Amino acid sequence: MSETILRAEKISFSYDGYDPILKDISFSLKRGESLGVLGPNGGGKSTLMKIIAGLLKPSSGEIFFNEKPVSEFKGYPFHLFSYVPQSSELNPTMPVKVFEFLDFSMSLYKIKNPKLIEELLEIVGISHKKNSLLSKLSGGEKQRVLIARAMIQKPQLLLLDEPTKGLDSKGQDQLLALIENIKKRDGTAVMIVDHNINQIIKSCQNILCLNRNYHWHDHKDFLTKNILEDIYHCEFEHLLIHEKDLGTDHPHNHHFCEHDHDMIPAPISHPFIRRKP
Amino acid sequence: MSAYFTDFLHYDFLLYALLGTIFLSLTCGLISPLIIARKNAFMGAAISHSTLLGLAISLSLFQATQALPVFLSTLLITIFLTLFLAYSTFRQKLPNDSLIGIFYTSSMALGIIIHTLFAKDQSDLLSFLFGNILLLTKEDLYLSFIILIITILVILIPMKKWLFLTFDEEGAITSGIRAQVFHYAFFVLLAFLIVTSIKLAGTVLVETLLLVPGFFALKFSTNIRQTFAISTIFSVVFAVIGIVLANAFGLPSGATLAVVLFGALILSLLVKRVYNLLR
Repeated sequence: MSETILRAEKISFSYDGYDPILKDISFSLKRGESLGVLGPNGGGKSTLMKIIAGLLKPSSGEIFFNEKPVSEFKGYPFHLFSYVPQSSELNPTMPVKVFEFLDFSMSLYKIKNPKLIEELLEIVGISHKKNSLLSKLSGGEKQRVLIARAMIQKPQLLLLDEPTKGLDSKGQDQLLALIENIKKRDGTAVMIVDHNINQIIKSCQNILCLNRNYHWHDHKDFLTKNILEDIYHCEFEHLLIHEKDLGTDHPHNHHFCEHDHDMIPAPISHPFIRRKP
Repeated sequence: MSAYFTDFLHYDFLLYALLGTIFLSLTCGLISPLIIARKNAFMGAAISHSTLLGLAISLSLFQATQALPVFLSTLLITIFLTLFLAYSTFRQKLPNDSLIGIFYTSSMALGIIIHTLFAKDQSDLLSFLFGNILLLTKEDLYLSFIILIITILVILIPMKKWLFLTFDEEGAITSGIRAQVFHYAFFVLLAFLIVTSIKLAGTVLVETLLLVPGFFALKFSTNIRQTFAISTIFSVVFAVIGIVLANAFGLPSGATLAVVLFGALILSLLVKRVYNLLR
């Protein structure tokens, strides 16, 4: 049985004086497996990712890497994982070239292998862009550079925050296929936040559905269309082309962790569009 | 005409001014692209304006001629104010510009009131506001050399870490770079540089030296090395031209530097535009 590389226990988060963004979120991820995080905008997916990456401190709860609580590490265990932010968060002001950007990490980890940059760019499929300015690359190319950067330290866990944001559907599929290849090649565990529901359900062994205070995390076979519709507060008609990957409906929504479904108030005027009248 | 240049070799105080200008403009040229790329231009303005409060308190305690005590006391107060600003602006969700704006106008206002009520010599403030090369002493020359060495050590040695943080802050933090240490170090260095440059450029106009070279370099360069090289060369060349002109026409050095640097920037942008049209 493969070991658990990441475990989160009852993670809650709120900014001072504001309603909680996350409440009692628990999940786990085993080595070599992937966890897809789904949910509507503002549901707390990226916040959760930033908490796992050590960029935000949870209000309560504990995170474990290799079954060791983060509090017992000397400093945050950044060496165990690589975080890939959204490419839109890169600052384009400086004229940084692709190889220079990767070299920042190489020097940081004191890696001397001069061929590594070319090998990684080859893997992500943009070796011809080695001398290009990062600011001149397309969204998909930037994301590939970020993934190449993340692979430099051979992490046990890859954290990907909306890697397909801003890409067309072909670009999204190509990028998710690349991530799948990396996962298989290196046996890296992957936690990915994304809006491409079909691809995430198809490629991830574990699914976490998240919408602020309530979430679903259980065996993937138990995930149903109803649960997804509840999380997104809308009904999917034609979206789930991989519906066969989902489980059959269950009589109760008791897979929502720690919450009695009847207690979740129905939104009076929720911001999500209902796709069925 | 050549006397305007040879004066700098014949008179000690002008030689100090010239060398001080070279050291400070080198330092400003090195740090300028980072200020712009890190989007800290307004923060730089806040620090430079808040030096007035430190200066007013120092001039209430010491005579303006006591260069070192005035410098040290202004530096300490400005660093204290800067640390407060740095603490209030590190990775905040809310936009920082309003807080910085409130802070620097208030500290400047307080500085003016303290200076009016308690300064030992009322006539000095204008020189500190707009720069006066006649105020530069041998000690200032040493200080400007020290700040140059410190800047080289703090900026150039961990340059890749600065660039990583500037380009992708979250990626840098999750790669183990201690962003908070760099954040504070950057602003303390900036405060040190600004206080050292007060006599040359003045509290109000020192921002020109901090921003124009980097802006120019980022407009014209195509890679990182070029950016820092162009910024430094631009800064030194036009600061020296500015200081020579200030001496020749008896103008405030800060104002002359600001106009020369800005004029060079506008002219080069126009030339670039025309070149692109003709190409």
